Amino acid sequence: MNMHPRALEHAYSTLDHVIPNESELTAGVRIEAGRSYGFFTDTTVCIGCKACEVACKEWNNLPADNIGLTGQSFDNTGALSANSWRHVAFVEKSGANGLRGGQDQKFQSGWLMMSDVCKHCHNAPCLEACPTGALFKTEFDTVVVQQDICNGCGYCVPACPFGVIDVSTVDGKAHKCTLCYDRLKGGLEPACAKSCPTDSIQFGELSDLQIRAAERVEHLHGIGVDSAYLYGTPGAPGATGDLGHLNAFFLLIDRPEVYNLPAAPTRPANRVAPSLATGLATVAALALASAFLFAPQRGERP
Amino acid sequence: MTYVKEGVVTIVQESRFQLTDDNGVSHLFLLDRNAAAEPAQLAPLQARQARVRVTYEPARNLIGLVARSVRLLPPSQAR
Ligand code: SF4
Ligand code: SF4
Repeated sequence: MNMHPRALEHAYSTLDHVIPNESELTAGVRIEAGRSYGFFTDTTVCIGCKACEVACKEWNNLPADNIGLTGQSFDNTGALSANSWRHVAFVEKSGANGLRGGQDQKFQSGWLMMSDVCKHCHNAPCLEACPTGALFKTEFDTVVVQQDICNGCGYCVPACPFGVIDVSTVDGKAHKCTLCYDRLKGGLEPACAKSCPTDSIQFGELSDLQIRAAERVEHLHGIGVDSAYLYGTPGAPGATGDLGHLNAFFLLIDRPEVYNLPAAPTRPANRVAPSLATGLATVAALALASAFLFAPQRGERP
Repeated sequence: MTYVKEGVVTIVQESRFQLTDDNGVSHLFLLDRNAAAEPAQLAPLQARQARVRVTYEPARNLIGLVARSVRLLPPSQAR
């Protein structure tokens, strides 16, 4: 096992202090302001344990919501919401596109599991829609809602192409994953990535993660999983419609829609100019039509 | 129906806080939009480990409690 040399400095199981730059030991990355951080979620190694969901709720002091059974496989979280910032999707299907093909027991389903989260979009539509400036880009290139500035107008909710951000019915403010902004400031890896037992969620500097993800896709292709591809890296599906790239991106082995992700998300801001032009053209056309209709006819008295 | 709990604010995240009562049991509260307190006032309470009295109602479809008011207890009532 590779152990970071700094780990020897902290050999006791009870500590009276926070380990400085702990993320170096747990994720192999030092967190520094001005750099770009994100998540690489490799869905092929997710086992659906929901440790990420629990770690997120624990750290962020979020209540369990959606009480009851959804009837959707082992998924009782249902969807991302103001109180659920990680959601493990369970897609039951046979064969799982060659990954576990032929190894399933008779009548046993194949599984696609994916821990969904805010994508921390490069050109974040939620941030563009926010009239108060409550949503902002942090020094770690992540997208966070400032609670004291949010007025709960909810403009960000329909602007998000992934259906992530949500306004709480209790405090009336918008909430979503902060990529553990408070932990990053303290040099700690985000709670979900730290708790993931299979490293399906990997935290790190975006450029490193993108290289690591490309190598993983190549490896999977090499062992016969031709369906593996990245969602959200520059030029890939998910990073469409001027979104730039997603700081939280995924490795998938089926169509995005199967995981409840949009195939080609877009920035709603792109539609402002065409909508405005269409509106102005309609007004002009109606004005012209009424001028013809109601103009005095030849021979008629004005 | 409104209830009351007293204890120490032990965790604060945005408008959510954890109150640990005298029996050592922790409860998760969400500050109501009309509460007689602001989310920004919660962090100093946690930092001071002050005793507070919270009036609350159960939340719908959430395992949490909706705080209607958070009042600092005078030192005489603090243990
Ligand atoms: S996924 Fe949605 S909530 Fe997250 S940054 Fe992008 S637009 Fe905003
Ligand atoms: S609800 Fe809050 S974060 Fe969303 S657009 Fe309105 S002010 Fe901005």
